[in-house]
Amino acid sequence: MGAPTKRHLPLLLGHNKSKAVLRGKNKKVTLNLTSMIDMFTILVVFLLKSYSAEGQIVSLSDALTLPESWSDQKIELNLEIIVTNDAIIVDGEPIVFVDESILSEANPIPILVERLSDHLEYTRQMRGIIDESEMKVNIQGDVATRAILLQRVMSSCAQAGYATQNLTVIKVEGGDEQ
Amino acid sequence: MAQAATGRSHRIRHEPELDLLPVMNLFCVIIPFLLLSASFLEITIIEMSPTEGISTGAGTTSLAQSEEQQLQPKIILTNEELFLGTVFGTRSISRVFLEDRNGEMVNSYDYEALSEALGVFREELDAAFPSIPVHKITILTVDDVRYDNIVMTIDVCAYHDFNQPGLQVAAYNVLQRQIAAGAGGE
Repeated sequence: MGAPTKRHLPLLLGHNKSKAVLRGKNKKVTLNLTSMIDMFTILVVFLLKSYSAEGQIVSLSDALTLPESWSDQKIELNLEIIVTNDAIIVDGEPIVFVDESILSEANPIPILVERLSDHLEYTRQMRGIIDESEMKVNIQGDVATRAILLQRVMSSCAQAGYATQNLTVIKVEGGDEQ
Repeated sequence: MAQAATGRSHRIRHEPELDLLPVMNLFCVIIPFLLLSASFLEITIIEMSPTEGISTGAGTTSLAQSEEQQLQPKIILTNEELFLGTVFGTRSISRVFLEDRNGEMVNSYDYEALSEALGVFREELDAAFPSIPVHKITILTVDDVRYDNIVMTIDVCAYHDFNQPGLQVAAYNVLQRQIAAGAGGE
């Protein structure tokens, strides 16, 4: 900013102020909030759009990275099986620790089948009757999980009576423009 | 009313003003709440179909199989190549290449080529068998194919309305027999 000119200098120093300026001295200073309200309104609309009243019905494990998919099928509340390259966790409880022997066969895993059968039996006893919609599992697998492990988990589920296996994924946009 | 010394009344004009402070207060409460409860990750599912045992060829038929099962395509993922096995025969779609995913070099396939091949097959299928709806597809892999490659393959299949995927894992030599049997039908 340049130096004030002679004409502006007295005003800046407070001398020789006009009566109109002095009269406005006691005026109440108000903030103009309109632009801020505009911004907040946009923000609230955006956040309301991404707000889900249902809440999060799955808890994502920190130990894995879910794969991304174009699927837009809504997730349902089912029994959760987490598959990483280290362990298979059913309903938060580690059931099988993954080693070479697990990866070398292609059959259902007996311990996992037993645990899943127990869970199904427990549900049946608690509710008296169990319908097909409850015989589903959600499988959360890490992106680096090997196919053989995934297939063993899926065949274990099928053997235990969980006919429908859902793979949990993170939705990404795409598929329409391909 | 204010009476001026002159005896004349002066009406002071006030511009009507909205009191925006309560609105601001409301926004200050609602925005942190919404920010905390907003989920920017949308979790969805892929429903898998149960699969039958591996048949002797990609397009082979048997009396026990339904018409849809006979027409059901198969995608074969090996550590070298990706194949598409259909009722018209089995053919190679792409070779494996290395791709950088989150700083890690991993095997990947040409999904665009797969999409193109599946699109052509879908058209042929609809033209040859318009009364039979085929939505099932089997993904056959060797044991060490990564899960994200399987999910990407399922996505491409679903794009072409093969939205009931099944997964089968087999040893490499079993898959080779599948490929050889299917290629014979071409």
